[in-house]
Amino acid sequence: MTPPPPFLSRPWDGNRLTLVTLLAILAPLTASIVAHGSVRLAALALALVLAALWHLAFAKLRKRPPEWGGIVTAMIFVTLVPATVPLWQQGVALSFGLVMGDLIFGGRGRGFLSPAAVSLAFLLFSFSVDAAHTTDTASALAALAGGALLVIAGILSWRLVIGFSVAVAACASQWPVPMIWPAWPSATLILGLVFLIGDPVAAACTNIGRWLYGFLAGGLLVLLAHAGGDILSSVVFAALLAAIFAPLIDQGVIWANIRRRARRLRHV
Amino acid sequence: MEFRLRKGKTINLGPSPGDTPVIARTVRKVGVMARDYPGVIFDLRVSEGDQVRRGQLLCVDRHRPEIGFVASVAGRVHQIRQGARRRIEAIVVNVEGDEGLRFDVGAAAQNDGALRNLLLRSGAWLGFRTRPFGRIPDPAGRPSAIFITATDSNPRAPDPAHVLMPLLDSFKRGAQALSRLTDGPVFVCQAPGPSLIDPSETLQVVRFSGPHPSGLPGTHIHHLWPVSDQRSVWQIGYQEVAAIGTLLSSGEATTTRTVSVAGPGVERPALVRAPLGAELIDLLGEPRTDETLRVQRLVSGFSLTGTEARFLSRHDLQVTVFDRNATPEHTRTALWRMIDRLPLAAPGATQPSEAFERLFPFDLLPVPLMRALAVGDIETVERLGGLELLEEDLALLTWRCPSGTDYGQLLRGVLDTLHQERAA
Repeated sequence: MTPPPPFLSRPWDGNRLTLVTLLAILAPLTASIVAHGSVRLAALALALVLAALWHLAFAKLRKRPPEWGGIVTAMIFVTLVPATVPLWQQGVALSFGLVMGDLIFGGRGRGFLSPAAVSLAFLLFSFSVDAAHTTDTASALAALAGGALLVIAGILSWRLVIGFSVAVAACASQWPVPMIWPAWPSATLILGLVFLIGDPVAAACTNIGRWLYGFLAGGLLVLLAHAGGDILSSVVFAALLAAIFAPLIDQGVIWANIRRRARRLRHV
Repeated sequence: MEFRLRKGKTINLGPSPGDTPVIARTVRKVGVMARDYPGVIFDLRVSEGDQVRRGQLLCVDRHRPEIGFVASVAGRVHQIRQGARRRIEAIVVNVEGDEGLRFDVGAAAQNDGALRNLLLRSGAWLGFRTRPFGRIPDPAGRPSAIFITATDSNPRAPDPAHVLMPLLDSFKRGAQALSRLTDGPVFVCQAPGPSLIDPSETLQVVRFSGPHPSGLPGTHIHHLWPVSDQRSVWQIGYQEVAAIGTLLSSGEATTTRTVSVAGPGVERPALVRAPLGAELIDLLGEPRTDETLRVQRLVSGFSLTGTEARFLSRHDLQVTVFDRNATPEHTRTALWRMIDRLPLAAPGATQPSEAFERLFPFDLLPVPLMRALAVGDIETVERLGGLELLEEDLALLTWRCPSGTDYGQLLRGVLDTLHQERAA
């Protein structure tokens, strides 16, 4: 039996991508556990068990080996969810996000939303959540480190990050939102950008699309925050709305590309 | 004209043969493989046991009998292998003696029709591939341009400037002859450096530099003369052009090529002069035993695009040798080893990344293209520029993609389907 090309080992596969994302979320998660103590540990245990259960259930249903991405989704969710939310509410929300945001599409890379963003949006919609605005420098630094790792690994797009930052700076100068700009960005904002808005599966998948998607997400964030949302709900719904528009943005880029090439073909 | 490309990646795979002298190694068997020619059905002109001379016709294409496939060595037809539905898969010839056929080249110097006939009968026509579709061109076809690829960015490939040095006259003569096959320009795509030919109105020299795949014809054609449904071009390698030049001057078909034999499995990379379709194990030159085959894995072509095979493929100019027992580089740390043990659904779905854009020096959108290929959306592949590509152009994307999908193979399926639709 001839093994298929390439004969070089691939630098990336699904498990390695998951591992790098897991390493990136580990530091912010630890910072959050240090800040909130054992409440977070219980939440983490519950989230990991739920993620394992849902992924195993769907793996059995589809007769495929289980994916490990659920662990990362659970960790992102636990890091971002306010510590005061009761555990059963967290469990319901995470289950919804895992199934409706990821698993029913066939797993990671086949859906178009970030499952963690879906979970958090469900939580914020369904239950009254009191998200305190934290200005914890350690968490913010940990989140920055995680984001840097993802940018270096090529998982998080730098175009998206810069587009987002530019849009936030530009819009916040029009509609002042003191908690976003010019104050030191909170851990929630950075985590939301890195893991929810910047999720490669949810984001646009063309280079021009990534700029536009970043602008859109930044604009939506300021708009939502200006309208009175707290930082968590603003970033979660900005991520969700932007992800819904990402395929449209890509389609626009595709149309432009096809038109440009057709024109070039006529002229050469 | 000069193009400096920044996108792409030259994967470091150890030493290439560089400027080492070209050596000859004894080859005992050669094979003509149907797999090298998509869309061709062999119609035999010899039978097992027949004595053949170098350049003698072995078989023709059933649909286009003008296209001939010739023996690259003198010898005896050893085996004709049949596959499914008794289709001929391979013709194997044992090397015996060195008697060559002489072609009459007098008429070809003036008459364009005679030139075509000569190329078709001598097997030199097989050096051409059309784009789109990557097939042998029609005997009467007139492309809108011809691309001579006189550069090679595949890691460990022979250096075209070095190989062409003693063949420059033949190369120039061949390039001149090609300009009689098209109404459009003939592009000679080469690496930066002294011009390989004297540019004229029909012959244009274009320099390409940058990481792989800056030396692949797909990249050149995309930047200079994009193809489509309405416009097709032919591409041809530099050694094929030199062979045509030699054929026109001497009347003998040049059936050898200079290939590089390199890879982790050989100690010293070498440039070897080998007949077309040579049995790969003979190109190693070392004592050949079953032990060698057990330890070494022979790939015809570059590691990303090649196939593990017994014979050298028609268009491959390199042989990559792997050591079966060597551990892949990434499994040297315990963490990666552990991750590799975890179950993995393959092929999975791709995860978009900017890395794909960085590897793809085309004005095409890699991730939408990969997705369209993965789901088999032929129309979208065509709209996204799939007709401009061949398998090798997608090799880096296949390598980088976490899903384990072979996009080159998927593209071949799409191109074959589209070609059938056009033909119908």
